[in-house]
Amino acid sequence: MNRKLPLPVLAVAAALLATGCLKGKKLEAAPAGPAKRADTEFMHSPHLDAASCADCHEGIEKATTLAQRHLPTKEKCAECHDDKREGPKADSIPPPRLSFSHAAHLPKITAKDKCAVCHVKLPEMGEARVAPSMDACTSCHKHQLDYAQGRCRPCHLDMKGLEPGKYFTHAGDWLRLHGALARPSAESCAQCHDQTYCSECHAATTTPARPAIIFPERVERDFIHRGDYVSRHMIEAQANPASCAKCHGTKFCEACHEQQNLEGVLLSGGRNPHPPGWMDQASGDFHGDSARRNASACAACHDQPAAQNACVACHRVGAVGGNPHPPNWSSRHDTDDIRENGMCRACHT
Amino acid sequence: MRQSIAALAASLLLAAGAVRADTVEVSSITFLNVADQPRDGLPGQTPELATVAPLFEILNVSAHSVTNPVVKDLQLVVSTWGSWELGDPRWDNGTGSDYTGDVVSAYAAGRLFGDVLTLRLGRAQVMTGVARMIQLDGGEAIVTAPLGPLGLRVSGYAGVPVSQRFASRSGMVSWNPMAGDLAYGGRVSVSYALPGRGSGRGVDVGASINRVEDGGDPVRDEAGVDFRIQPTAALSVFGSGAYSLYDEQLSEATAALSWDVAPRWHLTADWRHVVPDLLLSRSSILSVFSEGEHDDYGGGVRYELARGLDVGVDYHLAVEPGDDGDYYGHDARARIGWRRAGTSAGAEVFFLDAFENGYVGARIFGRRELGRLFVAADVISHFFREDVNGESLAVTGALTGGMKLPKGFSAVVSGRAGVTPFMEQSFDLMAKLVYNQTYQTREVR
Repeated sequence: MNRKLPLPVLAVAAALLATGCLKGKKLEAAPAGPAKRADTEFMHSPHLDAASCADCHEGIEKATTLAQRHLPTKEKCAECHDDKREGPKADSIPPPRLSFSHAAHLPKITAKDKCAVCHVKLPEMGEARVAPSMDACTSCHKHQLDYAQGRCRPCHLDMKGLEPGKYFTHAGDWLRLHGALARPSAESCAQCHDQTYCSECHAATTTPARPAIIFPERVERDFIHRGDYVSRHMIEAQANPASCAKCHGTKFCEACHEQQNLEGVLLSGGRNPHPPGWMDQASGDFHGDSARRNASACAACHDQPAAQNACVACHRVGAVGGNPHPPNWSSRHDTDDIRENGMCRACHT
Repeated sequence: MRQSIAALAASLLLAAGAVRADTVEVSSITFLNVADQPRDGLPGQTPELATVAPLFEILNVSAHSVTNPVVKDLQLVVSTWGSWELGDPRWDNGTGSDYTGDVVSAYAAGRLFGDVLTLRLGRAQVMTGVARMIQLDGGEAIVTAPLGPLGLRVSGYAGVPVSQRFASRSGMVSWNPMAGDLAYGGRVSVSYALPGRGSGRGVDVGASINRVEDGGDPVRDEAGVDFRIQPTAALSVFGSGAYSLYDEQLSEATAALSWDVAPRWHLTADWRHVVPDLLLSRSSILSVFSEGEHDDYGGGVRYELARGLDVGVDYHLAVEPGDDGDYYGHDARARIGWRRAGTSAGAEVFFLDAFENGYVGARIFGRRELGRLFVAADVISHFFREDVNGESLAVTGALTGGMKLPKGFSAVVSGRAGVTPFMEQSFDLMAKLVYNQTYQTREVR
């Protein structure tokens, strides 16, 4: 085969280098996720000795929601400063995304410096505004049950754009690990992810196309089946046979294999995917050995109902293929199974 | 199109009984994918090429916190799509028609009796325990209640495993991987919160069952346990085991840990055991042949070199059945990624050594935002240990460009080209118009 790298591949490679290497004019990036909290326009530290928190944040002890800002007014600043400085602008701060009542919490704190119990670090001029971390909440409130039962909403009004930091962190080989973590924690996952998000990959029977096709621009995401998956699907299927069967039924495989002439080999003279020694027990490629190792691969073409199945013709009781069961089969299955499972009766008539 | 989306969102709300949602998220993707796919072909001959050009419309509507007098936190979610073949039918069309489509998700979920009962009804996936993300037309009920210092959670579900609905290929009735017509199961779990500072620290332990039937015959019959232990903020240990009651054999087990060892270091380790044929339907004749078991042992490490720049390596030893006894294979991946503002780039190398074949691969990718425009590129290649269709190399590259348009719209065009074992030269073209919008009817306080 005369094989040359087509120009478009080279063009893509060149473009890839360009995206990483070109230096253009610096542009403002669109904010991702939650609205960015504006930088602080105020120095907290010089004021702490001269005034208490409540002197400036007047009425905060009665605030039942975070929407009640209780920021100092221009007049409040003027009580100490004789210049005409503006107070902080409330409209520069994005709407709060937590449900929190200072009025409910402050009376329960016994420490002398009540505010510092949660507000451990106060932002200074030019620093990003920081809310107390969730550890401040959980130093009093036990939230493991809320985690397990998926109850974030009473406190978090909106989870969009938040990324888990310590707990349920998506660090490491997340593609491999997320399933194992979801089994005991599915309700926690659902606090941020609608099922429409999970279905992009997990509803393989009903989705229109694989995510790497629909979202080619999301190059940083760990999509499965990237690139030319057709050429390597048999390799990965053999390396991890269980993974295919979790999403794809046999008919999915057959739909393509039929069109590639890989089925009906005996009847229509199609392409035979099996090696030459497939029917020879002495060869290293005997089909029985392959079926023992990985019956899922056989299922990609041969998982018809038992009455039409090619295996049954040779392996039914008394036929030339002999007993196909693994050595320990009878210890796990007695004759009652034959009555309970119609599939068994295809051979055990 | 925007009017039709808004109309659908409105009808969704009306269907809920003159109620109002705090947040309605709507997304629509209209996309055309033009590609060549091989057809037929006999040994030694070049297969024919069919040009497929399906035009898709994918629509997702999620309404959250729908105010109503009965159900708390009511959610209404619909995800659906339709397609029209402008060229030859693609191989995964799934029907004999040029028009097809399906419903991916369509459910209503909410809480009753305070927070005690959560109900989810419709087409949805069941994630917990041994349900293994089974997609059902049915329902799931979850009861949560305190039990002394513990939290108790009991869930149950029942329904029909999902198959393609809109049409079927000549006699085909289902693409569903269960091959069943009834599924049911549930899970019981308890949670314990560790006292002291740190959110989320504690233990969750659960036990679950799942049974799938096909015409009364068993398809799957499993029981399992799962756990998550979070002793410190930096460390979580979790795992699960599933036992096939029908085959009286462990079908799958996993144990893993995820650990922030130091401020810039993240470590994972895991073991996975699986008996692949037990994931075949018990009503499949092929389920009587296999006795293979697979085990993976390994882990990985991530290190943040600088803000936005991290590297990582993962390795797993894969033990699978070989010719004479076990075959010891390898699965490894290394990655470097960089992200700053609207620009990201990365590179990966992968190595897979399995009994029958394997590969060495590499990928480089990048994305850059330029105001309202963005461009992304992605090149991936694999060298196969054993030739695939007489070839040892597959390389494909994709170049994507897009623009953010006013009022929540964006347009994307992507071209992909490659050299693969089955295509001397392949070219795909994709164009899509995306609409994403969130409507908030009540200010989030």
